[in-house]
Amino acid sequence: MNPFVRLLVYLVVAPLLGGLLAGVDRIVTARLQSRLGPPVWQPFYDVWKLWQKENVVVRRSQNYYIFFFLLFVIFTGALFFTGFDLLLVVFAFTLAGIFFVLAAYKASSPYSFVGAERELIQMMAYEPMVLLTAVGMYLATGSFYVHDIAGRTTSLIWTLPGVFLGFLFILVIKFRKSPFDLSLSHHAHQELVRGITTEFSGGPLALIEVAHWYENVLLLSWVYLFFTASPVLGVAAALAVFLFLILVDNTFARLKWQSALKSAWVVTLVLGFGNIVVLSFL
Amino acid sequence: MLGFRKSPWIIHYDASSCNGCDIEVLACLTPLYDVERLGVINTGNPKHADIFLVTGGVNPHSAAVVRNIYHQLPEPKVVVAVGICAASGGIFRECYNISGGVDTVIPVDVYVPGCAARPEAIIDGVVRGIQVLEQKQRAMKADANSIDRAVYARAEKCDVAEILALQKIAYQSEAELYGDDSLPAMHQTMAEIEEEFGRAVFMKAVVNGKIVGSIRGGADGATARFTRCIVHPYFQKRGIGRRLIDEIERVWPPEITRFEAVAGHKSKRRLYVYGQLGYQPFKTEPFLPNINWVILQKERK
Repeated sequence: MNPFVRLLVYLVVAPLLGGLLAGVDRIVTARLQSRLGPPVWQPFYDVWKLWQKENVVVRRSQNYYIFFFLLFVIFTGALFFTGFDLLLVVFAFTLAGIFFVLAAYKASSPYSFVGAERELIQMMAYEPMVLLTAVGMYLATGSFYVHDIAGRTTSLIWTLPGVFLGFLFILVIKFRKSPFDLSLSHHAHQELVRGITTEFSGGPLALIEVAHWYENVLLLSWVYLFFTASPVLGVAAALAVFLFLILVDNTFARLKWQSALKSAWVVTLVLGFGNIVVLSFL
Repeated sequence: MLGFRKSPWIIHYDASSCNGCDIEVLACLTPLYDVERLGVINTGNPKHADIFLVTGGVNPHSAAVVRNIYHQLPEPKVVVAVGICAASGGIFRECYNISGGVDTVIPVDVYVPGCAARPEAIIDGVVRGIQVLEQKQRAMKADANSIDRAVYARAEKCDVAEILALQKIAYQSEAELYGDDSLPAMHQTMAEIEEEFGRAVFMKAVVNGKIVGSIRGGADGATARFTRCIVHPYFQKRGIGRRLIDEIERVWPPEITRFEAVAGHKSKRRLYVYGQLGYQPFKTEPFLPNINWVILQKERK
């Protein structure tokens, strides 16, 4: 497919798919707790409502950072889906996350400060593994380009099982699921008031939600890169990973940030780095 | 419209309840009632909420908190008083420390009776609240571009919290203008503004039940001096400030023959508006190291 067509499809379909996945998440979570749960379109209703609400701010400039957060998340996805360099994707993704943290700092409330600090700790926890995933894919395929990696006819999972498991581990952090939903949780809404999004309301809050949809679709597409042997297998694996994350979310209690950081780095070192060392000897 | 009907987010506050109603509010979230199927989320953050559930009668300690949470909810918002204590004070009505139901502090839209209110009744109350929410949203939309419906009146004591919040929003641009975050207007406390309310006249401009502009003035001999003419950034440059000055000039007795107004030396917009209304600058006073006050005057006609 032409990269521009792919870009266009991504821009339109990613938020729809992301919202739908968020709806599925809420239903599955409710069923796991033997509740009925909201309709599958609930996230769209929520965002539509937030968009119509009054926008209360501490400083008006906090909303610009949120806008750039969304913009860079979309930009990252655009790089990924047009088949660009995986390293560029990683760095653009980090930049987007930094804008989100800056927005929370700009709001100068103690709750959003604590949320922002925890978000930074989470970034420290997952960032090495994200980089190692890109490096591992390069060592296995000889290219950093998403286009080349996605075009392979053998699945990377067989050469990079450790990297995949490490990536799965940090996906729990990236999806803001228990036990690592330190800075912002979708379920325990009383935690730190609302962590990093405490001071956002109305439109900007809706933008944050949409940015998360884009993010989630991008991350699940990255899971797909491990299973390029057949498209059906890849999509099935991405969905299985998504359901697994929901299961983990409902099974675990929240950990302290110390344990989150330690466990993420141990996993990165043992599974991610170990896999790459083994790969370099083969 | 659909958004509000499908996604009412709630914040729950216990004003002085015995916890009976609180337990029932939480019971609504359990698998038996599961209000999340209606899109309800129990948020812990007033800035994310649409519906404010209050349980228990209000006492002097909780009154300030109730008022504060109410003002932090973004428009449109609805207040649901859950349980008989929240509705009227209940059996505590005559107690010396209870000021009565929640409606003695903030406007209440829906009353849910019961001791304790049953989960079914609370869900009914929330559903009724959604209708009010939709009504308010329609009104908000209609008022968005019809500034003529602004109401100008003297502020009352219960308005000062909202005026203080507005002041801190309106003065952001001033703080940026002078590059100084230490402006006294940005750091005024609730106690200070309440004290100021005792000796000054406050005017308010109200749009759709929300204060969007204010000015205050105090008399000294035959002169009345006006300060802090503020308008919410969304409503600026529509003549609200000008009308507020006009209104506050009228409240004084005939003994007052001269008006003064105060503005910072870089606040061009404020100086321009006062100039348009016939105020002439006649002296400047140092106020902060980097800000001078320009004092303008005008004879009363």
